[in-house]
Amino acid sequence: MSRIIITGMGLISAIGNSVAENRESLQLERSGIDHIKFYKTSYAGRLPTAEVKHSTEDLNKKIFGEPNLSITRTSLLALHASDEAIRDSGLTAEQLASTDTALVGATTVGGMCLTDEIFHDALAKDHGTPYLSSYDYASVTMAIQTRYRIMGEVSTINTACSSSANAILFGARLIQNGYAKRAIVGGAESLAKFTINGFNALNILSSKACAPFDRDRNGLNLGEGAAFLVLEREEDCRDKKNYAILRGYGNKNDAYHPSSSSPEGDGPYLSMKDALKNSGLRAEEIGYINAHGTGTENNDETESRAMIRLFENVPAFSSTKSYTGHTLGAAGAVEAVYSILNLVNQEVYPSLSFKNPIVETGLVPVRTYAKQEIIHVMSNSFGFGGNCSTLIFSKT
Amino acid sequence: MPYFHQSACISPQLSFPEADLTQFRTSLNNLLNVVEPDYPGIPAGVKRRMGKSVRMAVGAALPLLEKQPQPDGMIIATANGGMEDCIKFLNQIIEYNEGLLTPASFVQSTSNAAAAQIALVTKNHQYNITHVHRGLAFENALMDVVMSLKENPDAAYLLGCTDEISAYNYNIDSLAGWFRKEPVSNYDLFTTSAEGTIPGEGSFMVWVNNQREGSIARLDDVRTIHTEDPAIILHVFKKFLSENFAEGEMPDLLLTGENGDNRLLKYYEVAESAIQDNVPVARFKHLCGEYCTASSFACWLSFQMLKDGNIPSILLKKNTSSKPVQRILIYNNYRGAQHAFVLVSVA
Repeated sequence: MSRIIITGMGLISAIGNSVAENRESLQLERSGIDHIKFYKTSYAGRLPTAEVKHSTEDLNKKIFGEPNLSITRTSLLALHASDEAIRDSGLTAEQLASTDTALVGATTVGGMCLTDEIFHDALAKDHGTPYLSSYDYASVTMAIQTRYRIMGEVSTINTACSSSANAILFGARLIQNGYAKRAIVGGAESLAKFTINGFNALNILSSKACAPFDRDRNGLNLGEGAAFLVLEREEDCRDKKNYAILRGYGNKNDAYHPSSSSPEGDGPYLSMKDALKNSGLRAEEIGYINAHGTGTENNDETESRAMIRLFENVPAFSSTKSYTGHTLGAAGAVEAVYSILNLVNQEVYPSLSFKNPIVETGLVPVRTYAKQEIIHVMSNSFGFGGNCSTLIFSKT
Repeated sequence: MPYFHQSACISPQLSFPEADLTQFRTSLNNLLNVVEPDYPGIPAGVKRRMGKSVRMAVGAALPLLEKQPQPDGMIIATANGGMEDCIKFLNQIIEYNEGLLTPASFVQSTSNAAAAQIALVTKNHQYNITHVHRGLAFENALMDVVMSLKENPDAAYLLGCTDEISAYNYNIDSLAGWFRKEPVSNYDLFTTSAEGTIPGEGSFMVWVNNQREGSIARLDDVRTIHTEDPAIILHVFKKFLSENFAEGEMPDLLLTGENGDNRLLKYYEVAESAIQDNVPVARFKHLCGEYCTASSFACWLSFQMLKDGNIPSILLKKNTSSKPVQRILIYNNYRGAQHAFVLVSVA
């Protein structure tokens, strides 16, 4: 079976408009979590979030030149990141439009970032808004499909907060099973009243910047962004830039509760174990973990327990959600890019706002930026509904 | 080769728990709503909290899981997830101006709730995924199960889908012009020419593995494409036929997703032109209505036809055949932009 190589990356988040800008923020320990400036919600000023620092009009202008009236912020973020990834990989228009190119997107909010518009259109008897075909999850992937006239397999995945990790592994499987030669995979998410109010109703939003794995953590911050990767077969990309190998993946279900993890982190444990098995690696070969690390009481403790169960010595780990907030359906892809940056630059990025370890587990994340030799990185994404996925990337 | 085993279908027709293809229901107020069973298998407390989409999915899945060992994965398709709960929560957000809200509807409305609930109720820790790509979500799930069985030849999977009519998507899709404005019966969809169709809903679940023994049907091939160009559809369809049929051979039935929307007729005409003149052509959306995962109903109908060997006359558009039905080619398109070919054969 062909090895799967990452040949292009694109990323927009609260800490930068490109992969390079994101890396710079990570190196400088510059968080994107701040008061809400662009999104109109009554929680502005009360709940910090990690917004992409552009208005929707601004993003629209950047991508289309003139305003495209039926496109949502989520799709604009997806286009911004997929444009960068496709450019970076140097895929030609011909390659993109061939039936050998697959596209797998992911999102949990899709076009529902336009809460008020949906509400209007759900009840109006006439005069719908221009967004009538833009509310569903697929609209985000369709924006990319249409832009590049992609003719291969196209899917959209929504498994809550592990959505884009699953988009990446589904794209890899399409290649491995011979349904595509290359795949554009990733996810996008934008802030929405839907998620802000949903997570707030669950009492898991922090009124301060999140503090993953800290004893006194008190919740997550929502973030927005998009990240896409170009996956290719090793034999097809020998003459171009090879960032990393997608070495393995795991997908398991916690089957415990609709919105919280089991006390011993069964799903996370099984998912990491599944990824190790799939990659053919031993636990001790993992050099670094980009943890799910949302900063909620439940996640960080159960993820810690799962890491302790699997690893005799838990490898260096941190949560980059302390920079980007939790970008939900985009998180798996955003953190996949960061994991690849770990490998390419042989460096680790610290968890911010960490002071004291969780008493019961005692794990301490990476606290300062450092150069480190890393061969294999693991990236975790766990979601509501018990959907747990793990990706493993390796140095080329 | 993937084989379909026990299946369950909750649809606007009499399909659950057993198929009854001798009598057919009529649409009401331009809607084809499902006949919901009482779901005796779902604990009352759990059932109360479930929206219709999740309830249909769990209700169809549980009877299949009762008598089996645990499946090695659950592969579910739904374009919209729990829309009923979604609008309930949106209502709360607007009504209480983002005040203190209860999270139940939020948690139920996430589109992975069906796959998650089935895993939770049956304590299944295996592969779990939800495909949501609008009119191709079900075909993507089929593709996933094909790959899963190549990767794990001894495994068995629960494959399924669910989508509901909610006030939310009904109103939005009506505004976008996808439904008939004039009152129409589902049985007059093909005799009246107009833009739009009538919406439907349903849930379908099936046990899939590589074992021919005891199976209902075999899944031969799946192909999807995004285009609005009928010429490309013709090309893809011809290629699909040549890859799956020997020279001069044809499917015993072409089952299409024609839905009475005259804007989409050109795609179905192109598909019919690609097969020999004497091949029977049948339709199914007058029985289940239009929804993103409606091709799953065609899949379920195919199982019944392969079992009985004949084509119910209510489905036929043209031609009949005395030959028993052994290979059925399903062509569906969603709003002229997403197209899928699925080939199922007698086991």
